[in-house]
Amino acid sequence: MSNLTERYINNNHSVNGESVNGEKNVDLSVEIAGIKMKNPVMTASGTFSFGEAYTDFFPLESLGAVVVKGVTIESRAGNPTPRLVETPAGLLNSIGLENPGVEAVLTKYLPLMAAHDVPVIVNIAGNTLEEYGEVAARLSASPVVKGLEVNISCPNVREGGMAFGSHPEMAAKVIRKVKENTSLPVIAKLSPNVTDIGEMAVAVEDAGADALSLINTLLGMAIDIHKREPVLGNIMGGLSGPAVKPVGVRMVWQVAEQVRIPIIGMGGIMCTEDALEYIMAGATAVAVGTGQFVNPRCCVDIVKGLEEFCRKQGVERIGELKGAAKRGVK
Amino acid sequence: MKYHVPNAPVVSQDQTGESIYTLTIVSKEIAREAQPGQFAHLRCGKSADPLLRRPLSINDVERDKGTVTFSYQVVGKGTQLLSELKAGETLDVIGPLGQGFKTDLRGKKVGIIGGGMGIAPLIFLGRELSRENQVQAFWGGRSEGLLPPFVTAVEFPYAIATDDGSSGRKGLVTELVAESLSQEKFDLLYACGPRLMLAAVARLAREYNIPLQVSLESVMACGVGACLGCTIKGRKQGKETQFKVCQDGPVFWAEEVFWDE
Repeated sequence: MSNLTERYINNNHSVNGESVNGEKNVDLSVEIAGIKMKNPVMTASGTFSFGEAYTDFFPLESLGAVVVKGVTIESRAGNPTPRLVETPAGLLNSIGLENPGVEAVLTKYLPLMAAHDVPVIVNIAGNTLEEYGEVAARLSASPVVKGLEVNISCPNVREGGMAFGSHPEMAAKVIRKVKENTSLPVIAKLSPNVTDIGEMAVAVEDAGADALSLINTLLGMAIDIHKREPVLGNIMGGLSGPAVKPVGVRMVWQVAEQVRIPIIGMGGIMCTEDALEYIMAGATAVAVGTGQFVNPRCCVDIVKGLEEFCRKQGVERIGELKGAAKRGVK
Repeated sequence: MKYHVPNAPVVSQDQTGESIYTLTIVSKEIAREAQPGQFAHLRCGKSADPLLRRPLSINDVERDKGTVTFSYQVVGKGTQLLSELKAGETLDVIGPLGQGFKTDLRGKKVGIIGGGMGIAPLIFLGRELSRENQVQAFWGGRSEGLLPPFVTAVEFPYAIATDDGSSGRKGLVTELVAESLSQEKFDLLYACGPRLMLAAVARLAREYNIPLQVSLESVMACGVGACLGCTIKGRKQGKETQFKVCQDGPVFWAEEVFWDE
């Protein structure tokens, strides 16, 4: 174990539940669908590659869980460039699920993750129901994979993706198909580009989803007024970053009232305060995406910040804060 | 190794041309490990707008002092904020990133070709290469005021071409290169600058059968190979493939790049 790893992991020297300096330890651990996490901070799919891009900045062990890039049966080249455009407090992307395909992920990328003591959750996508089932079955054979996050919400691919995530019946079919092909916990990642997020959440819960990820990116667009054409090669893209946070918090709040399964809150989380908003809206855990591009240590800064916040507020378990804002409604 | 230095002290910031600035920071780690052609990812301001970091090539380093210098032109919100940083303040920087130029050679004759702000990383490259090789530089720009200030402060021979003739020859830098290649033999060429200039240099290099390395530019979000926002199509060992400009580049062999796009 590197010194860096030790510094992050062994920051809770405890004697009888009290830290050596006399302060009570804060319990940051959470459980999502049977996946035990030492803290509630995860990476958001598509922003963390297969884990290797950030190992120079912090040990993966300091995260609650790692969610890796969306995987499809065959490799995908992704969308034409430009794929990125910055907008006020936001980022529009149209990557288009570029990935090396499930075989390369199983043989090349996941074995690298086996060396790290952190739950690995793989995001999966497909063009057809059968593809979702097949990629789920293939990944379930890997001992490294502790859960599957089902992408029924990518706004950047023509087939599958959001097309499945816009209709409750279709979303339910995808989740049932994945459940038939795996015994791993199944997390449904929902699109915010729907009229009624609660209806979608209930549909996938009824179909057997073990947890929810809320929210994927908001469909958006930018135009180059000098060239008089769309900026993105794929015309439209998904908006992320601080600009979408209020939408994400609102959706977690609404969905938390309607489902019993745990929610992973995401969308514009840049700091501890943002993560706390999601948790107090009803999220059990949170995921950081675009925030990592701005601050590569965003996740570990949030873990530290959550511990400090709890200590100051006399909160013993992070779970106590889940949905705390509901109790604040007069 | 990539380093995230959230509070790198700013040593100096000088306006050195029309909207051109030269910024020097302290980061022992980056100064120690940076190779010519690598870049750093800089946070511009502290708010969420602009949100993303800006990738800037490393203009030079002083390894013993632990300083890293960037030279850039103000082109938008991010670089505007960057230009407002003053000595004594700090900068949030990640680096060194990407693959740099080939520098493990000796006794060779090399040409380095820079256009506009693309000259910046070639200063570092030229200095490193000129220790054990013969370096000839070709600098191009729109006008004298839009050339980085250090183009004439180098310790190796250089020729200049500007569009308006305000410095050096009136015309394109590629014309200087073409003349030179017809008279002298070069072992290796390096280029950084606008895409059209790079494509023209690539044609010349092919014509004279000289290996060429180019440094490409791209919009980037993460800068570390995670987001796949800067993917380009290219070829490796004859096969079509995809590269991440931030991780596989920004320096590529000219034959790896599709120039016709």
